[in-house]
This record gives sequence, structure tokens and C-alpha cells, in this order.
Amino acid sequence: MAHPSQLGFQDAASPVMEELLHFHDHALMIVILISTLVLYIIVAMVSTKLTNKYILDSQEIEIVWTVLPAVILILIALPSLRILYLMDEINDPHLTIKAMGHQWYWSYEYTDYENLGFDSYMIPTQDLLPGQFRLLETDHRMVVPVESPIRILVSAEDVLHSWAVPSMGIKMDAVPGRLNQTAFVTSRPGLFYGQCSEICGANHSFMPIVIEAVPLEHFEKWSTVMLQDA
Amino acid sequence: MAIEEEKDNKKGFKLLGILDIQKTPCAREALLHGSGGSLVVGLLHFLATSRVRRSFDVGFAGFMLTTLGSWFYCRINNAQLRMQQRLIQDGIKNKLMYEGTALDTVSKPKDKEPCSSCP
Repeated sequence: MAHPSQLGFQDAASPVMEELLHFHDHALMIVILISTLVLYIIVAMVSTKLTNKYILDSQEIEIVWTVLPAVILILIALPSLRILYLMDEINDPHLTIKAMGHQWYWSYEYTDYENLGFDSYMIPTQDLLPGQFRLLETDHRMVVPVESPIRILVSAEDVLHSWAVPSMGIKMDAVPGRLNQTAFVTSRPGLFYGQCSEICGANHSFMPIVIEAVPLEHFEKWSTVMLQDA
Repeated sequence: MAIEEEKDNKKGFKLLGILDIQKTPCAREALLHGSGGSLVVGLLHFLATSRVRRSFDVGFAGFMLTTLGSWFYCRINNAQLRMQQRLIQDGIKNKLMYEGTALDTVSKPKDKEPCSSCP
């Protein structure tokens, strides 16, 4: 859940997002050190009294400022590639959910066992209850069992949309006529918010996504109630 | 508990407003190692050469190299530890799930008696 004036990422709700946060800290520390080095060199160059107009070459420093950046880049690339392939792994999902983008709402279909489908509209600001979040709450949440691998098939019925939940590190474009696949595991129960991330018309900012991660028993009860109400 | 957590949150120092030194693993250690290394290297260089400006440069280079080296070493170990923790968690979950079944890897299967009527 984002908070006002937030600069960094939200707390991770999935193992992949935890890895992404660790990689971000790693890359940021390197960037901060390099920036500090550059600042120090600028100050040193500006404040020195030494001048030499006849320097033609210097092999030693050329070697240093070629090899050191190459080493740093390799040390950034290795964890980056590791996470890239980690994000593509799909380990035997327990459940498959289809998320379809419409103008301007999402619809979810749980068709593994029964035909359960429902629409998820944003709750207008004037209808919010005390404690609910403006522009983020929906009338029906996408409920998933906690700590279970879930496969999400994302598509759209009209124009481009994008299904994104930042706290889980998920973003997948919803393209009409195309089925995109992604997977996630929620590490803890709770509510996880996201918003449509591809411009799709007048109400693009008003079609949020809410994932409710619950224990398996609660998920079974919820799906039974939803099927009865359908 | 909530009051203590709020106090901890207020004490956190964020480098450039983004990198939380206290919450980020290895950040505090790397910066402290770098600072210590910088002081030691700079001081030794000054004692050997009595050149102030060059000693500052050497000290800063020492800070960079020590911080980077400590950071990389700590992060690699931290990543390996996190992977091991995840494997252990999955192993415990699988053990609980499959205990007593054919997929249980801990308990050995009972030896089957030879079948006398089998061809």
C-alpha cells in the first residue's frame, strides 16, 4: 500500500518482489558511490592549483577507468540476469485466473473447477466507507489463496490495458486478441492494490485492481458464496 | 509495540531520501567498513608522505574500494542465505504436506513381502 510522499518501493508481498527490492538496493548503493566519486573529482579538479598543458597520455589511469567500470557492470549484470530468469519461472500453479480489461473495469474468471466470473468496478469516492482508500477500492476483489502459486492470464476486450500490482512486482499488458501469462505467489495474507498501467481512455485512472490474499479455507468459502450469488 | 515501532521508523536514516541505511541489509556495515578503511589508508599515506591533499585522495579511494568490496561480499552471502532460507521453508512445507504419503522423502517405505502368486 503506497503512502503519501513515498519515494521508494512498497513493501514486498511476493518472493519475486523481495528479490527486486534487494537488487534495487544493490544497484542504488553502487550508483550512490559512483556519484560520490564524481562529485569528489569535480571538487578536486576545480580547487587544484596544479596545471599541466602537455599531458598526452597516461596508460595507468586509462586501464583503471576501463577495467573498474567493466567489473562494476558485471557485478550489476549478474544479479540482474538471475532475477530476470527467476521472474520467468512458473512452478506448477495451483490456480489459473483470467483477468480481462474493459473500458473501464476489470473482470476476473476462475474457470478451473466451476465457471466463476465477476466484474470489478472502482468504488466511487462518494460511496467509500470510512477507512477505505480513494480511487483504489473495488466492489469485488480478486481473492486468491495465500502462499499458493497462481497463474494469471491477462487480456483485454477493447483497447490496451495493463494489469499491475506493484507490491507483488507484477505488470502485464492486456492486449486485445492476445493472452499474456504471468504468475505470482503471495507471501502473506492481506490486501494488495494496483492500478491500470496503460492509457485506455477517459477513466484510465479509475479502474483499480485489488488482490485479497486469504487462507485456503476462506478462499473456498468465498468461491462457494460467489458461485451461489452468480 | 506500535509506539516502539514508530520510534524505530523515525530513527531510520535514509541516504538521499531513498536508501534506508538501517533497514537495508549490509548497508550500515559497508559504510562503516568504508569509513574505517578510508581513515586508516588516508592516515597511513599521510604519515608516510606528509602530503595532505594526496592523502585525502587516497583516503577517498580507500573509502570507495572498501565500501564496494564489503558491500559485494556481504550481498553475495546475504543472497545465498536468503536462498537457503527459502529452500528450508519450502522443505518444511513439503514435509508437512507429504508426511505419511508415498511422496514423503524422510520416512523410508516399508519393504514389500515377495508375492508368491505373481508370475
